[in-house]
Amino acid sequence: MNETQSILKAEDLSKRYEDGVLAVDHLNLNIYPGEVYCLLGANGAGKTTTINLFLNFIPPTTGTCYIKGIDVNRDPLEAKKHVAFVSENVMLYGNFTARQNLDFFAKLGGKANLAKEDYYQVMRRVSLQEKAFDQRVKNFSKGMRQKLGISIAIIKDAPAILLDEPTSGLDPKAATEFLEIMAELKTEGKAILMSTHDIFRAKEIGDRVGIMKEGRLVMERTRQELQVEDLVKIYIDYMKSEPLI
Amino acid sequence: MTGTIVRKEILSNLLSYKFTAVIVLVVVLVATSFFVMARDYKERLADYQLIRPEPGAPIAVLPPNPLSIFARGLEEAMTRSFEVGAVGIDVRAGQSSGNVIFSFFPTPDFVHIIKVVLSLVALLLGFDAVSREKEAGTLKLALSNAVSRSSLLLGKWTGNFLSLAVPFLLVTGLGLSVMAFDPALRMSPGALGRLGLILAAALIYIALFLSLGLLVSSLVRRSATSLVVLLLLWSVIVFVLPNMGSLLARQIVDVPSVRSLSEKRQQIWTREVLLSYGDRSGWGARIQAMNEEFDRMEEDYRLKFNRLVRTSRSINRISPAASFVDAATEIAGTGVSEETRLKSEVIRYKNQALPSLARDRTAREAPAFSYRARPLGEVLSDGGLFDLAWLSVFTILLFAAGTVAFIRTDPR
Ligand SMILES: Nc1ncnc2c1ncn2[C@@H]1O[C@H](COP(=O)(O)OP(=O)(O)OP(=O)(O)O)[C@@H](O)[C@H]1O
Ligand SMILES: [Mg+2]
Repeated sequence: MNETQSILKAEDLSKRYEDGVLAVDHLNLNIYPGEVYCLLGANGAGKTTTINLFLNFIPPTTGTCYIKGIDVNRDPLEAKKHVAFVSENVMLYGNFTARQNLDFFAKLGGKANLAKEDYYQVMRRVSLQEKAFDQRVKNFSKGMRQKLGISIAIIKDAPAILLDEPTSGLDPKAATEFLEIMAELKTEGKAILMSTHDIFRAKEIGDRVGIMKEGRLVMERTRQELQVEDLVKIYIDYMKSEPLI
Repeated sequence: MTGTIVRKEILSNLLSYKFTAVIVLVVVLVATSFFVMARDYKERLADYQLIRPEPGAPIAVLPPNPLSIFARGLEEAMTRSFEVGAVGIDVRAGQSSGNVIFSFFPTPDFVHIIKVVLSLVALLLGFDAVSREKEAGTLKLALSNAVSRSSLLLGKWTGNFLSLAVPFLLVTGLGLSVMAFDPALRMSPGALGRLGLILAAALIYIALFLSLGLLVSSLVRRSATSLVVLLLLWSVIVFVLPNMGSLLARQIVDVPSVRSLSEKRQQIWTREVLLSYGDRSGWGARIQAMNEEFDRMEEDYRLKFNRLVRTSRSINRISPAASFVDAATEIAGTGVSEETRLKSEVIRYKNQALPSLARDRTAREAPAFSYRARPLGEVLSDGGLFDLAWLSVFTILLFAAGTVAFIRTDPR
């Protein structure tokens, strides 16, 4: 396996739902170790669908997703060993404390022998307040749950991370801290695919930024290109160019 | 991996108020049922000591069955006293329970609680097992790991099954141990074995409803929908279907009413008395002839009645609740077949006792009536095993359907 092999790969990926909506339209994507890819796009552009296809929640209509070279559709269990996931707005188990939630998902993620201190450490890393560690998640705010969701992804320690609107609901301080965590994970060599509506943070954190529209990847820019181009303007332009029928 | 999920389900139940409330309800109901029914049994036992026939009296009456504490079934009918007279059998109320409340509410025996309450509790545990996790997004999160959907569902099933079965068995065991302190309630090893089998049937029955809950929970998106659908199914299975069988069977099999039968008997008796007025010479022969006529009438009635019972039992079996009650009461010896068998034994006894009665109406030299319930093997081969197998197959089918539904479900 050479250095440049992509960890997350979508090949000619399409998804047409039963009701006829073409949510993802022949998408090709490669995300490499140590790279953060930000997926922008209006509501309904197909970002969540793309992530769901990577996780084998729904079967693709055409094409294939690979995680670490493993065909997700053919060997989903093996593929999912190598990916961590942060979903948008997960409620988690309300009856469980933060640590109990973390413990359960860590075990599902194949991390069986973690000590109490390991859990505390990762919760500190996402700067969840100390007193919440052993409190029931039921009373957590959205941002607190989001942080816990991120710590669940971190503790799995997988080479690929998929995040669906991870910063929604985070306060500015927490969002900044989140970007720092992403930067750390990047230096650890993770391949990160993140859908977001936050253009500014996408520009800040993304090594590459893609814009999706009606299931198609209509634009892709690297960090270097964005130094000279204005991402906001590009985004607005692409959103404006509605085909007139 | 499945073990992790089993533990999580149990922990999650233990931490929920819903679960605690429901388990407390089960414990209280089972304990109350044991207490009430055991007291009732002891009263009936004392009653039996009073009405127990003297040696030589042509009376057939059974002592109360200790297993009727758990599965009341037709115990009331089976412990009536059958008095053999010149014109057939006089049936009297036997050891009636002093519990007036029983005539207002269905007898709160163990089998009834399992049939109605435990099935509902199993559904309450299962109805949102999958849908709640869809709503909370935890299903997506769990399935983003290397865990197969079938092992996830199996873990959920096992965790919830244990959450209900363990407290249920504990309170039952505790109740039995308390009862063992009372010499009047002490049960033979054979009876305990039968009780064990009833418990096994109860566990299958709970498993069935849990599987049904998981199936519906996997099919729908929202827990509220699941609850409504399941409550509807539950009331059909537990209340509607078991009565449909008897209603339908009545349409298929035409059985004269018991009243018309006894009226007919009275008519024959009057006719014979009038005919023989002033001529008592052939009385003994007349009694013999009359008796044969009654026997024919009753035989005809019984054949039809038994056919009615068989037909309605077969139809009722569609409902797992009816199957369960059928199996449990037959195993306990208070079931429909056992009662039918007792009745024919009583008739045989009548024919045996009659000659001595014809000779001298005041003679007290009738043979004693003895009845032994069918051995367990016979109960099982005679429909009990079929009921248990049917419950098991139904459970497996529901679980399989649940697995398919869960594998196909969209985790969002
Ligand atoms: N289960 C489904 N069945 C049918 N159509 C669906 C389903 N899920 C999504 N869609 C459709 O697919 C398209 C893409 O939806 P998707 O959720 O992927 O968008 P998104 O980019 O994540 O949007 P948002 O920014 O609002 O999260 C939309 O038109 C949506 O209506
Ligand atoms: Mg989305």
